[in-house]
Amino acid sequence: MADLAIKHNPLLETNPPLVQGPQDYNSVTEVVSSPTEIPLNKTPLRWYIAIGITSSILGMMGLVLTYLVATGIGVWGNNRPVGWAWDITNFVFWIGIGHAGTLISAILFLFRQKWRTSINRSAEAMTLFAVACAAIFPLFHTGRPWRAAYWLLPLPNTDLNMWQNFRSPLIWDVFAVSTYGTVSLLFWFVGLVPDLATLRDRAVDNVRKKIFAVASLGWRGTAKAWRHYEAAYLILAGISTPLVLSVHSIVSFDFATSVIPGWHTTIFPPYFVAGAVFSGFAMVMTLMLIARWVMKLENLITMKHLENMNKIILVTGSIVGYAYATEFFIAWYSGNAYERFTFINRAFGPYAWAYWTMVSCNVITPQFFWFKKLRTSIPVMFVLSIVVNIGMWFERFVIIVTSLHRDYLPSSWGYFRPTWVDICLFIGTFGLFLTLFLLFCRFLPVIAISEVKGVLAQQRHQAHEEAAH
Amino acid sequence: MNLISITNTKQNGAPVLGDVTGKSYWRSLNQLADTADFKQWVTREFSSTATDLLDGNSRRTVLKLMAASFGLAGLTACRPVAHILPNTKGVEDYIPGAATFYSTAMPMNGVVNGLLVETHDGRPTKIEGNPDHPMSLGAANSFAQASVLGLYDPDRSKVVLEAGKESTFEKFEAALKAANLADGSGLRFVTLANASPTFTWLKSQVLAKYPKAGFIEYEPISHDAMREGAEMAFGTGVAIHKQLDKAKIIVSLDYDFLGLDALSIMLTKLFSKGRKLAEESEEEGEHAAAEHKDEKTENKKVEHAAEHAAEKAAEMNRLYSVETNYSLTGGMADHRLRLKPSEIVTFARDLAAKLGAVPGLNVMQPATDKRGKFLDALAKDLKAHSGECIVMAGPKQPAIVHALAHSINASLGNIGKTAIAWASTKGEVSPLDAMRTLAGEINSGKVQALMILGGNPVYTAPADLNFADAIKKVPLSVHLGLDADETAMAAKWHIPEAHYLESWGDGRAVDGTATIQQPLIEAMYGGKSAIEMLALVAGTKDQRGYDLVRTYWSGQLPGKDTTAKDQAWREALHSGVIPGTKTAESKATLDGKSVGAQVAKIADGKGFEIAFYPSSQAYDGRFANNGWLQELPDPMTKLVWGNALLISPKYAKDQGLADGDMVTVSKGNLKLDVAVMTQPGHADGCGSIALGFGRTVCGRVGKGVGFNAYAIRTTNDFWSGDGFTITKTAGKHVHATTQEHGLMEGRPVVREAKIDDYKKTPKIIEEMNEVPLLKSIYEDLKYDKGNQWGMSIDLNSCTGCNACVVACQSENNIPIVGKEQVLKGREMHWLRMDRYYTGDENDPQVVTQALPCLQCENAPCENVCPVAATNHSPEGLNDMAYNRCVGTRYCANNCPVKVRHFNFLNWHKTTEEVQKMSFNPNVTVRMRGIMEKCTYCVQRIQETKIQIKAEARAAGKEIRAIKDGEIKTACQQTCPADAIVFGNINDPNSQVAKLKKHERNYALLAELNIKPRTTYLAKLRNPNPELG
Repeated sequence: MADLAIKHNPLLETNPPLVQGPQDYNSVTEVVSSPTEIPLNKTPLRWYIAIGITSSILGMMGLVLTYLVATGIGVWGNNRPVGWAWDITNFVFWIGIGHAGTLISAILFLFRQKWRTSINRSAEAMTLFAVACAAIFPLFHTGRPWRAAYWLLPLPNTDLNMWQNFRSPLIWDVFAVSTYGTVSLLFWFVGLVPDLATLRDRAVDNVRKKIFAVASLGWRGTAKAWRHYEAAYLILAGISTPLVLSVHSIVSFDFATSVIPGWHTTIFPPYFVAGAVFSGFAMVMTLMLIARWVMKLENLITMKHLENMNKIILVTGSIVGYAYATEFFIAWYSGNAYERFTFINRAFGPYAWAYWTMVSCNVITPQFFWFKKLRTSIPVMFVLSIVVNIGMWFERFVIIVTSLHRDYLPSSWGYFRPTWVDICLFIGTFGLFLTLFLLFCRFLPVIAISEVKGVLAQQRHQAHEEAAH
Repeated sequence: MNLISITNTKQNGAPVLGDVTGKSYWRSLNQLADTADFKQWVTREFSSTATDLLDGNSRRTVLKLMAASFGLAGLTACRPVAHILPNTKGVEDYIPGAATFYSTAMPMNGVVNGLLVETHDGRPTKIEGNPDHPMSLGAANSFAQASVLGLYDPDRSKVVLEAGKESTFEKFEAALKAANLADGSGLRFVTLANASPTFTWLKSQVLAKYPKAGFIEYEPISHDAMREGAEMAFGTGVAIHKQLDKAKIIVSLDYDFLGLDALSIMLTKLFSKGRKLAEESEEEGEHAAAEHKDEKTENKKVEHAAEHAAEKAAEMNRLYSVETNYSLTGGMADHRLRLKPSEIVTFARDLAAKLGAVPGLNVMQPATDKRGKFLDALAKDLKAHSGECIVMAGPKQPAIVHALAHSINASLGNIGKTAIAWASTKGEVSPLDAMRTLAGEINSGKVQALMILGGNPVYTAPADLNFADAIKKVPLSVHLGLDADETAMAAKWHIPEAHYLESWGDGRAVDGTATIQQPLIEAMYGGKSAIEMLALVAGTKDQRGYDLVRTYWSGQLPGKDTTAKDQAWREALHSGVIPGTKTAESKATLDGKSVGAQVAKIADGKGFEIAFYPSSQAYDGRFANNGWLQELPDPMTKLVWGNALLISPKYAKDQGLADGDMVTVSKGNLKLDVAVMTQPGHADGCGSIALGFGRTVCGRVGKGVGFNAYAIRTTNDFWSGDGFTITKTAGKHVHATTQEHGLMEGRPVVREAKIDDYKKTPKIIEEMNEVPLLKSIYEDLKYDKGNQWGMSIDLNSCTGCNACVVACQSENNIPIVGKEQVLKGREMHWLRMDRYYTGDENDPQVVTQALPCLQCENAPCENVCPVAATNHSPEGLNDMAYNRCVGTRYCANNCPVKVRHFNFLNWHKTTEEVQKMSFNPNVTVRMRGIMEKCTYCVQRIQETKIQIKAEARAAGKEIRAIKDGEIKTACQQTCPADAIVFGNINDPNSQVAKLKKHERNYALLAELNIKPRTTYLAKLRNPNPELG
């Protein structure tokens, strides 16, 4: 190994260190911990302004949801034939956002991709917050959420003595999403334990000390504890890995198992997973760029991290583009007239504007990342990451609405228009997401301190070896 | 026990609940019934008669009475009306909760349709046709179906109004007495076209007292031209009865006999007999029973079937339709010619000339265009079918066209065969002339008292008469009406009218058969009927409707003594028809000269022409406040909640008009601002507009809906007129339609074949769709035990009349949602009527398809429901458990035909207590947030099963099988074309099983392997080979 490193010394240039600047263990701890340790009365004003805005949006969502439940689904634009529209679009969109976190924390962990360490904590947090946003819709898109809240769960019941319909993909959804949420939470929390202990140890305030003492589960940092910890983390990574694939596959079954042309297709599971990772990384990118800048984490979240993420965006974006092409090819090749019509209608029908928005955002945009100059330019990647998420929202909208609005019988064709409630609810989910994210940035270490230290150790060791030769 | 009757409750100190006009109803009947006053009121003994129960009181009092009826429970449909019995010991044969059926009749446009009305605990809830009645033959149309909602309309007039202010009937009686009518020269009556013998008798009583009084029967949807045309052709009063079942060639000259005519139910029944190919399937069924594996036999069988199909199909009638606007009749036609209103007259003239029906007449337009070819081919076809064809003119056509049609029929020898003549009284003056005269008389101050008994002439009278102003000049103007409408506001007095379901009366069918109109419920607001008003004016001994009808018929009914007469009376009430009242057939000879003289007067139309037609929703405006009808899609335009000026796509393009553009149509000093809508197949250079909209004084449903076409309808341009100018104005109107896309996009949705092609290859229908080999890795569920329900819908006889849609709505408590929600695509009709255009945009053909839930065996909706709220019953029904539904709408998304309907909002938020009385108690009223759909009327299936079980238990016998045809779904029951057949497909002898073996049978979207239980019989057209 060592020899190889020397011989290919120029590789260091193309493969720059994951932690930059004069960093040692203490400085890493300091950089990550100190923003959480600012006393409440000294919290920067801009944080208050930010959370003031986001929580207002969140509050608006609360009001909109109350109005929705009190009045009925009719306050949305959903109709017959378009029974699902923005509700399920938003659900799939948010579930997709969450995928980056799990992918980074689980799959990249198993593949020993060290560059994940600086971004996994916040990406995982985003997963949780995105799942929280997504979870609103399976419940509130129902006509009777007060029933759906527990009838969708396999609880023992004496009033009806009946089970759910296990043939329904919606029930699979309930299980998939709740499993996903639970595992992601555990994974995130387990990863947090050593860092919480660090915060506990650094705490000056007694109350703060007590809170983190409880939260860190009495972590002592002994070798034995670390051994158990690593094992637990590995197991959780192992459990999470199939979830990255399964959750969005199951979400795609909502459509793929139906009989509706445009939904009924076997390509959906991989296509949805790729799309989810695509949008998830784009969302991580958007938020990370802001956090990196605001919290001055340039040395920990380096250009290398960003570039790697952009590469993943390029790959998954290309898979998505390929899937679009395949869908069209199969629609033609299958000879199924309904299928053909659906795809022609997507591209040239009343929702062509949505389709072409989707194509330009999702297929064309990521191609810019072929150029190193562009994929290492922060303004470019910031803009493109937002464009990708717009595109991915439209992808779900296109799949759901354009397939439903014109299906088998022309007599039942219709058109969907969103109402203000649809729009406010969607904006409101961003309120929830950003509020949670701001709280997270304020009170918890946004970067996994212990893991970065591990990378730092390795980096130092490498440097030391190089020097020795 | 003495008869109990209840007097005016205010006088009796019963609780009076709040103010009359407010919305604060009591929460429940219990709450009401618990008050001490109420208890006292219920238990007290009363003295007066029940009929004056509600004088001057609110309808709430009626509802209190309804509440009382739960306590007294003897109100089994309130008959006879004066008798209310307590059932402390139980009323004989009365089973609480079980429905009872009574025969009655709905008067409309000068005839009555015999009905059977289902009542639950004294509330009429559902209208069905009376199979014994010659005009109904078991079917009812959408108006009859929806009339039950009209009964419970909360906006109905409830109080007597004097100059718009609440008054009492006593005060009105006093005012009437005070009026010095002398010999009646200042007394005029305006009524709707009327077929009541009791009315005629009372009319003579009035004339006896006031010899110079005048009676005018003004019907806005008049059939006067029909009568005048017959008089013109035959010289005497003659009615022509159309024997459509005997006609091979049927020609309609703007006669929408399958749609909006007063006789449509009967004519559809007769017409559809000539479109049925049902016998064929019976034969096939037998073949199938004796199935042989031998190939030769198999081939022979196919050959035989083909031959047989050809043979039967050849007997199918052929319909030609000449019309301006697309009507249902045009949709069913094998050949349709679209012409301007004035061109229809010249077409009739040329057809008569071609056939030599009128001596000395020459064809004036040469045969070059489509019209010419159509004319030639039609004339040839008619000639070839002399004696077995019929030419009919519609009521919208002038008398001359009717006379020409009669001439053609006479020359072809159809009279006495397909067109039977009946003697009829010769009309005195045409009602339009009479209305003109009346307006003149009023304006010259001759009229002292004007009694408008029914109808709404201020709204419906021709615009040139300016009736609204005229009526104000009459010292004593009286309006009897169901609603406090335009006329009620203009008249001095308004008397609430009793609905036909709550008053005694009688009427004749078109063939003269008389029916007693029995009330099904006590007059809820103490309304009066027209005969009661006549009796009041005449001052007869009897004043109550029951006594009047009874007195009249006791003189008419057979029977020597009272006992026999009583028996005959009871039989008449029971069966809904009075035997021996049919008009006798008579002879009619053509008076060719008279027709020839009139033909000379025919003039060509100039400029833009306008044709008026009755609305399929509001009719002439009388149903404007009926929500079921307002939300019933027009059969052709699919428009709801409004009307439009219909123009052809070509005309729209030429004039730069698009759907929803506002235009001003004017002629002289009359003008109408109206939104246009393109109607494929409409004649060019003219427009059509439905009457009955744009009501200004109306209830909450109909007020301000649509455009008032009466504004430009005059005595001269009564049904159509020329010389109108049309100018585009600023502004846009949003039309709400239930079907946005009218083309089938090449999909085999409605399968249609020419009869010749079908003759050659009966498999043609099946081959219209490629169905792959459908194999499942699971074993299919076998539905081979017990009852397996299925349905067959014959598209060859379905006209698209919508009767089934309203029947379904009434039977299954389906809510209406309003225009805004229809625009959002949220209408709730479980059974919808789809309409597709085929062929050229300017001159397309139309097919319709009734689409209920297909009850798929492999229902895509079922496996996607997360809470298992929709499941399959062992009898093959796709059931919906409303209570379990959480409303994910996944089932609706996955329904390939989109027949699942979601309660997006609480559609019953504005349902008032009185409207709730119209609900079928056997069907749940669905709350918001849940899915609903067609159930194959599962409540009817269960009711029959329970009844059979109860009978078996009572008799101590085994439970017998349900007989074929014993259960009829609401849609099937009311279908005038008998296009819907429901039954047990597991029974090879059932009609539905036989139909499903028919070669025309096909399943919608069979390639999805959904295995629908509802299948269709393909449509056939029988085109004239000369026209292709």
